Amino acid sequence: MEPTERIQAACDFLLQSPPGEINDVLNDVRNIISDDNLLQEGVVPALRKYNLAQFITVDVPETNHQSIISEAARLPSDSEDGQERWIDPRSKTSFAFDHITLEASDPQPYESNEDSEPFRAALEKASLNYLLAHFHDGVSSVFSQATPNQFILQIVANKYNPTNFWSGRWRSEYIVDLNEHTVKGSMLVNVHYYEQGNVQLSTTHSISLTLPPAIVTTSPESSGTKILALIEAEEGKYQTSLNDTYHEMSEKTFKSLRRALPMTRSKLDWEKVLGYKLGAELSSTKGGFTPS
Amino acid sequence: MADLVDSMLDLMRRLPPTRTEENVAALIRICPDYADDLLGSVDQPLQLKTDRATGKEYLACDYNRDGESYRSPWSNEYDPPLEDGTVPTPKLRKLEISANDAFDTYREMYYEGGVSSVYLWDLDDGGFAGVVLLKKTMTPSAPSEPSGSWDSIHVFETAERGRQAHYKLTSTIMLQLVMKKASEDDDQKADGRESWKRDGEITLGGSMTRQTEQDWPIHDSSSHITNTGKMIEEMEIKMRNLLQEVYFGKTRDIIYDLRSLDDLEKTRRQRELQKELVGFIKR
Repeated sequence: MEPTERIQAACDFLLQSPPGEINDVLNDVRNIISDDNLLQEGVVPALRKYNLAQFITVDVPETNHQSIISEAARLPSDSEDGQERWIDPRSKTSFAFDHITLEASDPQPYESNEDSEPFRAALEKASLNYLLAHFHDGVSSVFSQATPNQFILQIVANKYNPTNFWSGRWRSEYIVDLNEHTVKGSMLVNVHYYEQGNVQLSTTHSISLTLPPAIVTTSPESSGTKILALIEAEEGKYQTSLNDTYHEMSEKTFKSLRRALPMTRSKLDWEKVLGYKLGAELSSTKGGFTPS
Repeated sequence: MADLVDSMLDLMRRLPPTRTEENVAALIRICPDYADDLLGSVDQPLQLKTDRATGKEYLACDYNRDGESYRSPWSNEYDPPLEDGTVPTPKLRKLEISANDAFDTYREMYYEGGVSSVYLWDLDDGGFAGVVLLKKTMTPSAPSEPSGSWDSIHVFETAERGRQAHYKLTSTIMLQLVMKKASEDDDQKADGRESWKRDGEITLGGSMTRQTEQDWPIHDSSSHITNTGKMIEEMEIKMRNLLQEVYFGKTRDIIYDLRSLDDLEKTRRQRELQKELVGFIKR
């Protein structure tokens, strides 16, 4: 296999990593490719892609909070040396980010857009309250878009429990558009359970809402709270609907794939099963006694 | 350096079960020398084939494969045909035919549909080994209903010790459930603006493996069928309970560990209020 193909395969594996297991996957891939020099250069783009898509969180320098690394967090203009920078609108900081160590460095003040900042800050405040109410270890970031009156709200919650062989990630993203009066978004859940097995849950759910005009025209504080109340209701509804799906999968599909016990409500009598079959075989042999 | 095969197996334990086939293929392209190790230790969904001689369906896996051909348990023929394909000795083939009949009854009793296949092969030390395969798929009758598939792979080895036989059984069950959902609200609210649209997909799939070793008495060669039959039946009952617990209990609990349906702040406030009240009453 060509080195480029090997790197491509390694990158494909990395991008499929379950929540919190990217280092385990990278370790396996290192062994399999067994060419660290080739790998080191080749996998950084895949790690970057994974971090952005999975809403990987980072400790923001000089603050006590975390922010989300995603396409929305990327500073549009790279610094002179071509190095990418990322923003945390909450602390008005930009920083460099290492996609391997997942650490931020070189923090610098970041000037947010004056016009959009009041509404962005209101959405952020409401989303932080929402996190406290419904997520055990949630992180959220709210970004102003280049288009005026457009905002991106992202939420991520992770639980990694390698000692009990499971991990989980909840991601949601909403584009709040005050020009179109819409909220469009998606929720993604991934769960991995791997004690003597490999069971994965992967869900996608997208929603599209039209905002009542009253929500858009009030003060930023009030509309921020109301938009988050809508999101809270949608996410709650979704979580409840997942329960219903579980019930349906368990009661309908699982039960009709394999019964817990046969119709007779007792286990098979194997001597009998074999006896019937041997009997049938014997009688058919008897019937076939005519010389061929 | 850790063993290469161990790394490959660890990787397969982490990557999405829905993509097992393509990932195994990619690993084989990277390390062609380890193809047999991988194909022999990573369970892949069973393929459905049709016996050309009898028209009956059978299951294909690594155990009835010779080169690019698969042997049918019904006609004992390879497809595509092989001149000198590996087949069991006549004595073992006789047992294989009986085992296929017996597990076909088992399949009907528990699966009420689906396909089963049993393959046996001789071992160098005089004993023999075999695999019992069962597969059932469900296609939804309506788009809003879940689809699903169940693949059982029971590999066993046996060695006779006088009137006893020792059995080693490794069972893997692959279970895959998928549901697609879409809904739209066309009701125009009083203000004429509020409406919503939702759609999504839920995939819950994977595999679990368990092992057991047991001794059973033997009277004649057909005892191997009743013995492995009882062991496999017991194992499938246990694993069905386990799958139910992990699929519908554990993964659901993990979702609730991420996000709480109830308002956590409210609970926290109530707890504080209660503490205050207790303190107040004590005073």
